[in-house]
Amino acid sequence: MIEARGLSKRYGEVVAASDVSFTVSPGEVVGLLGPNGAGKTTVLRMLAGVLTPTSGEVRVAGHGTEGEAFHLKRALGFLTGDTALYQRLTPREVLRYFGRLHDISEAALAPRIEALVARFRLSDFADRQCGKLSAGQKQRANIARAFVNDPPALILDEPTTALDVVTGRFLLEAFREARAAGKAILLSTHVLGDAEALCDRVVLLHRGRVLDQGTIPEVCARAGAQTLTEAFLARVGDEVAA
Amino acid sequence: MRPRIVLHIFRKDLVETLRDRRTVVMAFVVPALIYPLLFTLLGSVVTDKRGELERTRARIAAWGPVPEDTLKAVEQQARAEIVDRRALPPPEPELEARTLVAAKKVHVVLLTPPGTSGPSTPVRVLADSTNVDSDAMERRVSRALTDHAAELLRRRMTALGQDAAAATPLDVREEDLADAARRGASFAAALLPYLLLVLVATSGFYAALDLTAGEKERGTLQTLLTAPVRSVEIVAGKYLAVLALTLAATVCNLGSIALTLSRATAAMEAGARFSLGLSSAGAIFLTVLPAALLIVALLMAVGVLARSYREGQSYLMPILLLVMVAGFASFLPGAELTAGTALVPLLNVTLLVHDILVGKAGATQITVVWAVSLAWAVLGILLAARVFQTEQVLLSGEKPWRDVLSPGLRQARGLTPGNALAFAAVLLVLTFYGSVLVERRGGVIALILVSQLGFFLVPSLLWCRLFRVPLRDTLQLRWPTGRGWAATVLLAAGGWSVGAVVWAQLLRFPGARAYSDWLGELLGKQGPLELGTALLLVALLPAVAEEVTFRGVVLAGLRRSGSRWIAVVGSALLFGLFHVNPYHVLAATAVGLLLGWVALESGSILPGVLIHLVNNGAQVLLDRIPALAERLQSPLVLVLALATTAAGGLLLRGSRRPAPEEPPGPAPLPLASP
Repeated sequence: MIEARGLSKRYGEVVAASDVSFTVSPGEVVGLLGPNGAGKTTVLRMLAGVLTPTSGEVRVAGHGTEGEAFHLKRALGFLTGDTALYQRLTPREVLRYFGRLHDISEAALAPRIEALVARFRLSDFADRQCGKLSAGQKQRANIARAFVNDPPALILDEPTTALDVVTGRFLLEAFREARAAGKAILLSTHVLGDAEALCDRVVLLHRGRVLDQGTIPEVCARAGAQTLTEAFLARVGDEVAA
Repeated sequence: MRPRIVLHIFRKDLVETLRDRRTVVMAFVVPALIYPLLFTLLGSVVTDKRGELERTRARIAAWGPVPEDTLKAVEQQARAEIVDRRALPPPEPELEARTLVAAKKVHVVLLTPPGTSGPSTPVRVLADSTNVDSDAMERRVSRALTDHAAELLRRRMTALGQDAAAATPLDVREEDLADAARRGASFAAALLPYLLLVLVATSGFYAALDLTAGEKERGTLQTLLTAPVRSVEIVAGKYLAVLALTLAATVCNLGSIALTLSRATAAMEAGARFSLGLSSAGAIFLTVLPAALLIVALLMAVGVLARSYREGQSYLMPILLLVMVAGFASFLPGAELTAGTALVPLLNVTLLVHDILVGKAGATQITVVWAVSLAWAVLGILLAARVFQTEQVLLSGEKPWRDVLSPGLRQARGLTPGNALAFAAVLLVLTFYGSVLVERRGGVIALILVSQLGFFLVPSLLWCRLFRVPLRDTLQLRWPTGRGWAATVLLAAGGWSVGAVVWAQLLRFPGARAYSDWLGELLGKQGPLELGTALLLVALLPAVAEEVTFRGVVLAGLRRSGSRWIAVVGSALLFGLFHVNPYHVLAATAVGLLLGWVALESGSILPGVLIHLVNNGAQVLLDRIPALAERLQSPLVLVLALATTAAGGLLLRGSRRPAPEEPPGPAPLPLASP
């Protein structure tokens, strides 16, 4: 469903990503893990059609990045720390706006918005301007925004960072439901506990390259570690500390 | 480009901006308060000062043997009082006088050097021109002295037994030909163009900043980039939102300034009166419109380069300064609207608004400045569109200008809406200035030959070569189907008759009649043209050259927008714009709509060439056979012509040959669950 084939991105002499390849199948959650500066955001942006790869290919639900990644974006829900909400619009207005940008008919959009408001428990603040919401409320509204087109594929970058435990748990449960509904989810996170709890497979990225990928037991075994945290530290920890 | 998506972005940006108190206050509230306050305050200060000066007695110092009768005359005529009388002047009279004026003890010093004798008494009037009171009193005292000198001369003439009237060989009286309204207009003409341009820039400043750099800083631009929208749709929606706010604020503020000036002009300029009529206000708004298009495009293009609101303010400030400098031309006494200054963006608008206010501007001047400004605006919009397509700019990367100017991005992928507009803008400037030069040197035949071949046909072919697009596909050089030809014949036959009736109605307007007469005079300058030559120059040549340009290159580029409406309406508007005279622009735009639609429906440029040829050829014939022209002015002919045109249109639909599939448009993605 989500495919990265030999993705590379260069800015002059700087290599932000090099020959990155992995796939995410329908009904699967894959964790993209790596320290700060590993190139995760660059890879996610290329997968979302926001950034053009220097080389390599992206496919999401069979669509590539040709034609301004138009069809690819229609099949994708994308959320990163950089994708904020409009401060002077309400969550309901944001959902309506993005629904319209996805060309959803007005007749289908209204019940869709109400379903999202109910699913992500937005009703208490759905008509309050986003600038006046708490961090948790904003993140729930933003995730609802990523679901507005009911995409078959989701890319979520740090969706639970800076959230309280209750909201974090609530969102993880929502992602599990999405996986059960057959969606392909690529999850980038620093919270390795979340990755262990949710991910079917992980991709370990460091300095723009894929160090390892597989199920968590496979990655742990190859690193000679008991937990994902130990495996992560074993593969990249020393270099980062140095 | 999908208009409905542009509309969604436009509406969202408009709502969001209007909810931003800072933008609303800066664009609407502050100017609406500032102008009345500023001018009322200034007006009242000027009026109070003028009244105070009129009421105040001039305080005079008289040093040395100034004649007593002269002092009395000054006291009476200049309403002055002598406050400092000295028989001998001080050792340094200028220094002493300056000190006394500065201390407000005297306004003016009259000084006659001791030892003066003879029939002429020197009287020096010492005053400080940098001191408002001293300067005004100096004028009052000097006038009294001049009158007194004339009176003395008359007395001497009488004493010598001469006729006193002979002492005044010339009785000079100054009379101002400008009435109060013209004086008011002149006063406003110096001020209003500057204020208008600055208003446009300041009105759009915060909205452009908020929707570009502000959105980048808040991270919402990246959210938008993840949605299935094209960058050209984003820039179009945002551009229209900023433009709408700018124009709304400009209209409100223009009204505010006009009302304020109508009250404040008399106070600021003695004996002047100002009122802005609806027609002048409309002409000014239309003149400022393309300037607003350009300013907003520049604000957007530069604003989006900044990574934060604060950085954006620094980036946009030079644009504001440029606008101020261009607007400042209205204060310069020698600045005039010429062929040269008409080419300079913003400056041309300043000078034209000035000319409209003083009643000097004609329809042609307005159209030329409008067309040139529009060409600049198109270039500005293209720059904005290009900047918005640069990922390094949108994602706040380093050195965004490097990507904007990189050759990789400069290479266009065939003809696009952007380069079709750029092509039209280049042709517009080339045609206007080239025509002026050719007409001066070569006459009308050379003018038509050069303009059709040199300004339309050859540049169109070169443009296709430059962008390496196949001529056959771009210009739709295909033979239509039999049905297509049959439809074309009906459209040509009906179309020119409708056109003739409509043009005859348009000629009732003085502007259209004047243009028609000018055209007739131009064509007859070198003697009546042979019918064959006239048909070649006025019918065949434009039919080929203009169709290649507008239904070829321009339409092909605009079709890449993905909207047939944009392609047809855009190419028709550009085609109309090249006809300069406002009435001719209307008629040509209407013809352009038909020709654009025909080109798309038939899949060929040839039907358009034939319709264009018949239309122009019929005009040539009707000019030579007035009786036929009169016969056509009947309702029956109009009904028949409309019916024929409609039949042609119906027949043309679906008549094109099957062509290779165009790139598919976005297909709706069904929701996996409700």
